[in-house]
Amino acid sequence: MSVWGYEKGRVMTVRIWALAGIFVMMGLILLSRIFYLQILEGEKYRFLADKNRISVRQTHPSRGFIYDRNGVKLAVNKKTFQAVLIKEDAPDYRQTLANFLKLIPLDEDEIKRIEKEISWKRAFMPIRLKDNLSYEEIARLQLNAPDLVGIQTEEGMVRFYPEGKATAHVVGYVSLLNENDVRSDPNNPFIDLPGYRIGRTGIEGSQEERLRGIPGTRKTEINAQGRSVRILEDIPAVPGEDIYLTIDVELQKYMTEVLRAYAASSVVLDVKTGEILGLVSAPTFDPNLFAYPIPAKEWRQLITNKRLPLQNKALSGSYSPGSIFKLVVALAGLEKGDIKRNTTVDCQGKTKLGNQIFHCWKRNGHGEETLENALMHSCDVYFYEVSQKIGSQQILATARKLGFGAPTQQDIKGERSGLVPSPAWKEERYNDAWRMGDTLNLSIGQGFLNATPMQLVKATAEIANGGYQVRPFLIYETDAEKSREPKERLFKEEYIRILQSGMNRVVNKQQGTGHASAFDVDGQKMAGKTATTQVRRISLKERQEGIKSQDELPEEYRDHAIFVAYAPVDQPRFAIVVLVEHGGGGAQVAAPLASKIMKKTLELYPREIR
Amino acid sequence: MMSFFKDRNCYLRDYNLPLLEKIKRFNYGYLFFITLVVFMGIGILYSVAQGNFDPWASKQLVRFFVSLIFLYLIALTNLRLWMKYAYVVYGIALLLLIAVSIVGHVGMGAQRWLDLGLFHLQPSEIMKIALVLALARYFHGASLEEIRSWRFMIPPALMIIIPVAFILEQPDLGTALMLVFAGGALFFLVGVQIWKFCTAFILTLISLPIIWSCLHTYQQRRVLTFLNPESDPLGAGYHIAQSKITLGSGGLWGKGFMQGTQSRLNFIPEKQTDFIFTVLAEEFGLFGAFALFFLYAVIIAYGFVIALKCNNFFGKLLAMGLTINFSLYVFMNMSMVMGLMPVVGIPLPLMSYGGTAMMTLCISFGLIECVHINQEMVIGRRGSIDDE
Repeated sequence: MSVWGYEKGRVMTVRIWALAGIFVMMGLILLSRIFYLQILEGEKYRFLADKNRISVRQTHPSRGFIYDRNGVKLAVNKKTFQAVLIKEDAPDYRQTLANFLKLIPLDEDEIKRIEKEISWKRAFMPIRLKDNLSYEEIARLQLNAPDLVGIQTEEGMVRFYPEGKATAHVVGYVSLLNENDVRSDPNNPFIDLPGYRIGRTGIEGSQEERLRGIPGTRKTEINAQGRSVRILEDIPAVPGEDIYLTIDVELQKYMTEVLRAYAASSVVLDVKTGEILGLVSAPTFDPNLFAYPIPAKEWRQLITNKRLPLQNKALSGSYSPGSIFKLVVALAGLEKGDIKRNTTVDCQGKTKLGNQIFHCWKRNGHGEETLENALMHSCDVYFYEVSQKIGSQQILATARKLGFGAPTQQDIKGERSGLVPSPAWKEERYNDAWRMGDTLNLSIGQGFLNATPMQLVKATAEIANGGYQVRPFLIYETDAEKSREPKERLFKEEYIRILQSGMNRVVNKQQGTGHASAFDVDGQKMAGKTATTQVRRISLKERQEGIKSQDELPEEYRDHAIFVAYAPVDQPRFAIVVLVEHGGGGAQVAAPLASKIMKKTLELYPREIR
Repeated sequence: MMSFFKDRNCYLRDYNLPLLEKIKRFNYGYLFFITLVVFMGIGILYSVAQGNFDPWASKQLVRFFVSLIFLYLIALTNLRLWMKYAYVVYGIALLLLIAVSIVGHVGMGAQRWLDLGLFHLQPSEIMKIALVLALARYFHGASLEEIRSWRFMIPPALMIIIPVAFILEQPDLGTALMLVFAGGALFFLVGVQIWKFCTAFILTLISLPIIWSCLHTYQQRRVLTFLNPESDPLGAGYHIAQSKITLGSGGLWGKGFMQGTQSRLNFIPEKQTDFIFTVLAEEFGLFGAFALFFLYAVIIAYGFVIALKCNNFFGKLLAMGLTINFSLYVFMNMSMVMGLMPVVGIPLPLMSYGGTAMMTLCISFGLIECVHINQEMVIGRRGSIDDE
């Protein structure tokens, strides 16, 4: 190289080596970076890559169906599509949600609910945005999928009750999980299932674990667009068990129709097996309303209605049994031996106890009464008198033996026990001793004693079947098992016959309180007992203001009307209770309704020709 | 006309090897390593297409063989020819850039190429070679004193700045940066004082806000996203994040050929071009990545050695400039996919799918081979005339 370039060449060589050095250092930086990413952080990125590609989803088991005794479907599943948001899948879930609302507008309440769910749900838990998507809405979501990363369309199942209102209180309803469900049972395997609906009331509630089945797991490989490429693992869901009820939906519908106008309840029982053929509480509600979150307006209507449509009055309503309880007093007296069939009492319209006067409902008295006639007339004085002899202890013991004071069945939760008082109970509660006056009140089913309609019909059935214990039930444990014959005899047949005779007279004798409701279907007649229980006495002031009859009082102060019965008289098969809240007289209001229902029952189950 | 022939004779007179000698001197080792990388790339393209030669691998193979012919033909040319026409090539490249800019303005949006029917001519790609040629030509005859004077450095500075301005306008931040770095590196090699670089660096820092305001919104966003990936997790930040996941999940030995989940399931954007390295790293792990590093290091080292061995400044600077270009490609692409640098859209040389890039790379390698073959050639200070 020539002289002009000598120094330049030297500098250049040095600089080339310097640049080589710089390149080596840059290369080392890249090498260490890749080492850091692949080896030191490799585990993390492998995890992230798997999270990218694997989507683990739970799949819905099909909830077991509920059938009536004849195989009529009472609860089934319907396919539905819903849009859900999964927070952790969305890069910016607020933006995603805003994009969604542009496509499918929701009302303010719904947006508030979604905001709330966003705040408490775990990042991987799907947040329901919209249920029951129409096909048009599904298409709209799919077209705009790129703006909706984190939103998925899920196929779900929704519960449907074909018989709706008629079976609402028996079958119950299901609804979506709420905050409390998650908090109270964080290990519920269904928590992560979008659109999972938990059984709340009735059979749906009590048989939740049998009905719901086991969720499946599906691991799928998804691509960057979130589309499933292939299934890696699929553990299918195990469907829930089907459940067969003792209910007869024909009867159930008829009962619902009959009681439609009242705040009332009614139960029809097979007196031998304890099968509950019909169980109705009025007013009722449409359980299908709860399939999707119930609209606020309808919910408000349900909970503000004074007649409490959501309450199952047959199991949760607790009332003074009134004159129905005279059957219990009579049975207690017969058992103790203090009264016989021919024990008579002269009713002069009242009984004096110290300074207190206890009136018979008939002011001028019934005159000389035998036990059967006292039941027929529902004479109060007869029972005032005999109860003093029998004593509260025996009466209360017999009441417990008949099942008062305890739930009668296990198939629907939330049944109330009613109340069978005792001297100890009164001492505790009122800090006061049990007095004879309390016994007299008890003898006509007023005072502290409380019973549910279910307890009344159970007691009626036990009288009707000749004194055997009845265990009412709703669920056939196996499809084949259609009856459970009674085994345990509680009361002597002799005593029961006397009660039956009294109940027969109530309906089938001219003077009986329930005679207006008597019928004869194919030679089958009904026996029963009426009761009218005071909710509130007409006060002196009201009497002065001219209010003389219950009809003139506001509804909530009027008497409850109760009627229990069984039929047919000669070979009892069915027992019934009808209780109309604030309905007025048992004979005037409850008995005709019960009579209608019983007739229908006998038509549906005609006497077997042997 | 006469003078043209006279000049040409002057340039070509003293040193022109016979063709057979040139073929003999051709550096086949260099070509071997280049081919190795290209085949690795084709393998990955095959994998990325889920085990198909279509749509990328087969085309890439054809393009490589076509480009290889150019490589070989250029290697056999006389180096002096390139010296002589260096400014002409630069001028043409600049005119094309201007043409693209005008067409781009007429058309819609960013335009980087001219549609010449058969292939897309990307003037910015040609400029990468042309700039090196022009600078090598300019600095070839310069004395150290000239190089260290301010006035002498104005023309080469303009040679860099003018095309960079046009390319920035396209806008193509990546290529513009490459030109600046490559040009700067050549300045460094010829002996510009270190303090001048420091001054230039400080001046750049000061003028950054102005440059910032000239950047396109999308470029601004990319830089911002790079600095804070959380700000745009679905856009560019998503790409960086997914790119890192792909790389990192490869581990030591990788997931196996065609077993890369990230690439197969489309989590990687531009997996056949800019992000192809992540696929390699995912499927072959640290082992595969290091192997590629090694091959690149060998190719770059070849370039350095060829430059060092060359007897003339033009050849030295040409080989160095083109090798620097190549190295910058590699560094910038890898830094980009590893999250060390904003995503600016630079392919990985020889690996990424793309016809124009393959052709320009092979022309570059052809020129470096040409320098290698002519390493003993002596070129006078102003061509060869003055030294007579």
